[in-house]
Amino acid sequence: MQSFDCAIIGTGPAGMSAALRLSELGATVAVLDRAPSPGGQIYRAVAQSPLATPDKLGADYLSGADLVSAFSKSNVAWMPGADVWHLGDDGRIFYSQDNRTQELQCRQMLICPGAMERPMPIPGWTLPGVMTAGSAQVMLKSDAMAISDAIFAGSGPLLYLIVAQYLRLGIPIAGVVDTTPRQNYVAALPMLASALRQVGMLFKGLGLLREIQKSKVPFYRFATDLEVVGTDHAQGLRFQQDGASYELSGDAVLLHHGVVPNLNLARSIGLDHVFEPDQLAWRVKTSPFGQTSCPHIWVAGDGAGIVGANGAKHAGELAALGIGCELGLLDDVGRDQLAEAPRKASAGQSGFRRFIDRLYQPAPDLMLPTRDDTIVCRCEEQSLWDLRQGFQSGARDPNALKSLTRCGMGPCQGRQCGHIVSGLLAKWREEPVADVGYYRLRSPLRLLTLEELARLQDGESAR
Amino acid sequence: MFTSLRGLSGDLVEITVNGAPLQVVAGQSVWSAMALNGFTVTRKAAVSGQDRSAYCAMGVCFECLVEIDGLPNQQACLRRVSAGMVINTQHITEASEVYHAEL
Repeated sequence: MQSFDCAIIGTGPAGMSAALRLSELGATVAVLDRAPSPGGQIYRAVAQSPLATPDKLGADYLSGADLVSAFSKSNVAWMPGADVWHLGDDGRIFYSQDNRTQELQCRQMLICPGAMERPMPIPGWTLPGVMTAGSAQVMLKSDAMAISDAIFAGSGPLLYLIVAQYLRLGIPIAGVVDTTPRQNYVAALPMLASALRQVGMLFKGLGLLREIQKSKVPFYRFATDLEVVGTDHAQGLRFQQDGASYELSGDAVLLHHGVVPNLNLARSIGLDHVFEPDQLAWRVKTSPFGQTSCPHIWVAGDGAGIVGANGAKHAGELAALGIGCELGLLDDVGRDQLAEAPRKASAGQSGFRRFIDRLYQPAPDLMLPTRDDTIVCRCEEQSLWDLRQGFQSGARDPNALKSLTRCGMGPCQGRQCGHIVSGLLAKWREEPVADVGYYRLRSPLRLLTLEELARLQDGESAR
Repeated sequence: MFTSLRGLSGDLVEITVNGAPLQVVAGQSVWSAMALNGFTVTRKAAVSGQDRSAYCAMGVCFECLVEIDGLPNQQACLRRVSAGMVINTQHITEASEVYHAEL
């Protein structure tokens, strides 16, 4: 079995910057990602874009090319297409490559799981033709594929960015339905002063909104009561705006209202988590260097709380320094000296982050379903009504509800319904989400065939 | 509607989707190859049997599970096409009888 000083899971900005720093320090590093090329979601395919004009995606995207290039030139053991399905607190990692399981051992483990879009459980969200706005960006970056005449609905910087990218590429858009609640503008106002320290970011955001408003695309603000129109395929979106009903036709509906940490890897090892009230999401509890409740396991980037691409890069560097210190490659003094720059840089961004978090806090009625027949668990098709029945039968926590109703038991393993279920139970119990908890998760973290498992038992994977 | 901004440029490979032979750009995701050719239904919902399609395109929703070369439960958004690949919409539901996967 291959053995490394450190194994890093995920090659977004956090994973790549950590890998570079650790390899500079002289550690042997394995880096795993299920994607075929490094970059994570944010810098996906930046080094080999299928687009003729990738600059239309913006300078922030292109800026990832330097990090990807440095990473590709480094001497780390890079394992593309490696889908990790088990992380052990003994440092053992099982991962699947081309449906074959491989195994490695590490002394320190750094998980950089990144973020995923917060699910938006509105009526009709399981219909073909309803996707996330982030998926539109994924498809654009990796395969130069677009969805024409789609309705974009929701709130937040990523939504405005992808709409602007579509406009620049000349892809027709049926409409933009903004769900940012009116009261958010008031609530975020006190945070504006500290956000002004990142005035460049502020202008970038305003620029995106101006691009959208300048275009001829129908733009609706303060929308509520969203509902997908269509019986076997999305054909449009119904919504309310200031008491009036609207129905917009479109070939697809692309939803987005922010991102949450991608939890399953860290949850499966039983790392301590906290519910972050500013971001309304669970995150791994970490030290300033990213160390978790299990001392040789570290988490950096959006998985430890949403920080964005630059924040993730700094967090990756800090985690590498912490790990380097544990490995005896540098002492406390050296670590703290090198940590000063990334620490200062991430502290400088926190004011802007708090402002954005508050301004684009998702509308409560879009985070939790309101209609009885709305599906919560997409895999097992459990509706709000089904879950309430389960709660009324005595299932007060997510695991009990899972046992009773099968919510969270399907192939996505609660990735989609986890936050919704915790939120619903908190609402029904009239207690904080932090007290309600989250699903208990276990490996395998992906779908495995019995054949693949059996091969592992036979020791075939041990190279 | 799904459209490609690069068209059929670069190396092409032949794959089969639901019995139809297709020429697609090598290295693209199975999902994009399907969607660009009008095959947007990836699987049936486990309980109701309703049509489902990709939702996240980044591996966290498991809605795009398809059968690839006889093996079910493959995430179409994460797998890349290769020459000769045979892809089918996945019909497994709760009501399915014993299913024999080709191994």
